[in-house]
Amino acid sequence: MMSTPIIAQAKIYISVEQVQKILLPNKVLTKAPIIMSEELQEKMRAASSIRYPFKGERIWKATDGSWLIVDEVIGKHEMITYAVALSPSGSVTGIEILEYVESYGYEVAEADWRKQFIGKTAADPIKLNQDIQNIGGATLSCKHITDGVKRVAVLYDLALKIK
Amino acid sequence: MTVRCKPLLGTYVEISIDHQECAQAIDNAFAAIEQVQGLMSFHDPLSELNTINQRAHYEPIAIHPWTAQIIIIAQEIYEQTNGLFNCGIGHRLVAAGLLPCHIDLSAYEFGGIEDIGFLEPQIIISSKPVCLDLGGIAKGFAVDKAVEVLKSNGITSASVNAGGDLRVFGSLPKPVQIRDPKNPNHLIDIGSIQNGAIATSSLYFAKRDRRPSYIINPITNDESKLHVNFSESYSIIANECVYADALTKVLALSNGHHHSCFEHFSAQAIRVAG
Repeated sequence: MMSTPIIAQAKIYISVEQVQKILLPNKVLTKAPIIMSEELQEKMRAASSIRYPFKGERIWKATDGSWLIVDEVIGKHEMITYAVALSPSGSVTGIEILEYVESYGYEVAEADWRKQFIGKTAADPIKLNQDIQNIGGATLSCKHITDGVKRVAVLYDLALKIK
Repeated sequence: MTVRCKPLLGTYVEISIDHQECAQAIDNAFAAIEQVQGLMSFHDPLSELNTINQRAHYEPIAIHPWTAQIIIIAQEIYEQTNGLFNCGIGHRLVAAGLLPCHIDLSAYEFGGIEDIGFLEPQIIISSKPVCLDLGGIAKGFAVDKAVEVLKSNGITSASVNAGGDLRVFGSLPKPVQIRDPKNPNHLIDIGSIQNGAIATSSLYFAKRDRRPSYIINPITNDESKLHVNFSESYSIIANECVYADALTKVLALSNGHHHSCFEHFSAQAIRVAG
């Protein structure tokens, strides 16, 4: 019997538009979505241990060849939307967290409820405990982001790099 | 208010500025944290810390002023705690599988942080081979550096939170919550902090993720007592985050009992039963 997850904190830091200006300042970005083949998904899955599919529509390219990729990592207790900026040669030039949702109750990765948070911005009405800012405690690990950046690196190698 | 968050120091670092809009100040503060990470990471074989571990026994090493500063702080805490806080136990963390191995451990009898000597303010040499790990102190140090950068960029009120170790400054007291060790999604309101820092040691995330305790007893020779286990949450409030960060380990190793060094560092302890 599944119980409703308890949302411990839901923080929306910045929007996609803001992260474009922060990570690739003064650059003109054009949306550059790609169609994700099952083969590409499988290779990204194998390299990063992230099981759920990557969505190819949140990719932008700058006129100088830099890239910005927005993705989610979903762990057992958290869902994090993050952005990675890549140089034209594929090295990571910046990583930024857009949203952080922490929950307990059952596996976030298996739950449909998380969909309600995807793509929300600070202007949207979902503001759960957003006034709580200073949470102390044992160190939270950011391992899931490390996995996420790995899969973005694979995406670059297999689909974005000019061959 | 501006709040941003980046994955750094193995955790999520949140910088929040009240009232002012200053993207450059936040970028500079994150850059300071990245610099601390680059200098002091045990995981990065090319960090200055690993240069010290590899060469300080053989020859004098020129180090960054921040590395010099953290070594002096680590030595001060080592002395004030009679060795209970020791940054010289990297080899034991490697042996326990908590840190990656960059050197052959079996060949050496390791010294500790107390064996590092200063030839000049930024040149050190070690009287014994050392395997320093700044994991128990560098996060707090990085928070302090970020705060210094924010202040020097004209920010008057802000907070920096490195995955639970946080420091606030400015004219307004800020409410602070800490996680309940029995149920870490439940937050306990502990009141407000103005111009101060709080850090916490507890094992709820380690237990949840089935990892061994990262609190290592530096004094024991009994391998079975190396990992210290406890169910409580131990927090320290201090003026600077580097002391709060380090002293939570002292509090945990003293089973939550008051340690005489807390007065020396103007620190206050909070124990939450687990």
